[in-house]
Amino acid sequence: MSEAVGAALPLHTARKPRPGMLVRLMRDRVALAAGIVLLLIILAALLSPWIAPHDPYLTTRRRMLPPVWEARGTWTYVLGTDSLGRCMLSRLLYGTRSTLLVGITATAIGGAIGMFIGFLSAFYSRLDGILMRINDVLLSIPAILLGLALAAVIGSGLYAIIVALVIATIPTVARVTRSAALVVMAQDYMEAGRSIGLPDHTLMWRYLALNCISSVFVYLTLRFAQSILLGAVLSFLGLGAQPPTAELGMMASSGRNELFIAPHIATIPSLAIVVIVLCANVLGDALRDLLDPRLRKL
Amino acid sequence: MLKHLAQRIATSVPVLLGVLLLGFLLLQLVPGDVARVIAGPTATQEIVEQIRGDLGLDKPLAIQFLLYLLRVLQGDLGYSMINNTAVAKELAEALWPTAELVIACLIWAIPAGIGLGALAAMNRGRWLDRAIIAISVVGVSTPVFFFALILMIYLGYHWQLLPFLGRSGPIWTLEGLASLVLPALTLGLSIIGPIARMTRTSALDVMSADHVRTARAKGLAETTIMLKHILRNALIPVVTLIGLQAGFLLGGAVVTETIFSWPGVGRMAVGAILARDLPLAQGAILVLALCFIIINLAVDLLYAALDPRVKAS
Repeated sequence: MSEAVGAALPLHTARKPRPGMLVRLMRDRVALAAGIVLLLIILAALLSPWIAPHDPYLTTRRRMLPPVWEARGTWTYVLGTDSLGRCMLSRLLYGTRSTLLVGITATAIGGAIGMFIGFLSAFYSRLDGILMRINDVLLSIPAILLGLALAAVIGSGLYAIIVALVIATIPTVARVTRSAALVVMAQDYMEAGRSIGLPDHTLMWRYLALNCISSVFVYLTLRFAQSILLGAVLSFLGLGAQPPTAELGMMASSGRNELFIAPHIATIPSLAIVVIVLCANVLGDALRDLLDPRLRKL
Repeated sequence: MLKHLAQRIATSVPVLLGVLLLGFLLLQLVPGDVARVIAGPTATQEIVEQIRGDLGLDKPLAIQFLLYLLRVLQGDLGYSMINNTAVAKELAEALWPTAELVIACLIWAIPAGIGLGALAAMNRGRWLDRAIIAISVVGVSTPVFFFALILMIYLGYHWQLLPFLGRSGPIWTLEGLASLVLPALTLGLSIIGPIARMTRTSALDVMSADHVRTARAKGLAETTIMLKHILRNALIPVVTLIGLQAGFLLGGAVVTETIFSWPGVGRMAVGAILARDLPLAQGAILVLALCFIIINLAVDLLYAALDPRVKAS
């Protein structure tokens, strides 16, 4: 008995170093799969001009052809054609590109501005009160209302959607950044840096920003999913991309006219949105769990 | 309680003013002459001048905003550019269908979400728990319109179970009620995932509390413990979440109304924007913002009712 315990608990175990974040992410099979699918989708969207089988804007007389797995489907148009006889697969690839572009642009610009505000707020406590007060007001305006209002002012288009999504992203990112930065601000090395007389911009960018950027990036992954979803909804309402531009939300919306004759025209782009957002959500959740295990059960 | 309510109303005033300012600037930012935009492209110069005088557009911007506030407070939201009817009257008619939709959605989705969350928490780590988590993640990743399209194709068209176009009548008639089912189902599906997830997390937290162990030691039935000792405490963060989801719910309502041709404020807002009917769009956005503030206020009151500590302070 005592031998067995001794064998199980050797006195001096050489502690293995904790594996890096990427390695740990690799072990979460669901998250890994989500990451790979998302990467493939981004790649396919980037390469859409080369891999699309047809011109996404070329109308033909073969209208509302069903996808290949249905009775009348053909291999020429794997996902069928839409009401104007345009190749659904090609439009899906181009549409994914526009949708991703909206999501990435909005998250990048909104994220950058939000991070800047968050850093300022944490670094200069005198600015904190006023910045966060303004932030709260921005936070309380629903994103969809911003989208509607902007579309009313500058007219419908991808531009209006991106601006609305940027404005909606800023306050949330600013808040997350601020709380991450406040933790870093309390560290000794910040005090040390200040006492050796480093200028504010060095302290802010080399010390503060680099130390909380990873948690902000994880939040941005989740925010990216939100932006794609909201952008697709605004496009669906007709406030975003205008025909003939291929964009997933707009494509789903235009398929409503033939919903019962050719449901694939609306459902395929919708499904594509679900897959993109789902992958980003799963990946973001997994990354957040890795960074902060306390939040795992959320 | 009253003090709490007064405080909450006071804090929503800046938001309301912000939204009003946004609505006011909406017309200012439009390129070109505001009076001409409101009058419409076919108006004569005389009418344009008259509108300019009526709205005080020849005065400084700050005065204009005050005049605008006064008009809104009197319920004057201007006239629709397209059918020349009073915007306030049109919106008043659209408000009830929107309220119907949102209330019908909350009535089924909140209990369903809480139920699913509680079920998952009770079966922690088992397949049912995992299935519920998976479903709720897929749910939050799905755009509202996809739910609507699927329900329309199957329940509406293939199986012909329910009507899916427009509102067939007031809610107390059978046709009216039937036409409400699919829109309410759609909107509910979009908020059920986050509610279930939050209930599960919060219930798991409460489950490890001392009073739950005591209840179990007393030999109370598992269902009694879940309903009376766990859920009641677990609901507080869930209620907060529902408040936070109000904006999302509003967005969902706009899409749902548009797809199902439900004659509410959301559809009116989208229609007005697409038709560039600015006074109507401005009014509709204002009303939607007001709905958002009211939902948040209601959530806060519910919060106080659930958590005696809030009531006391």
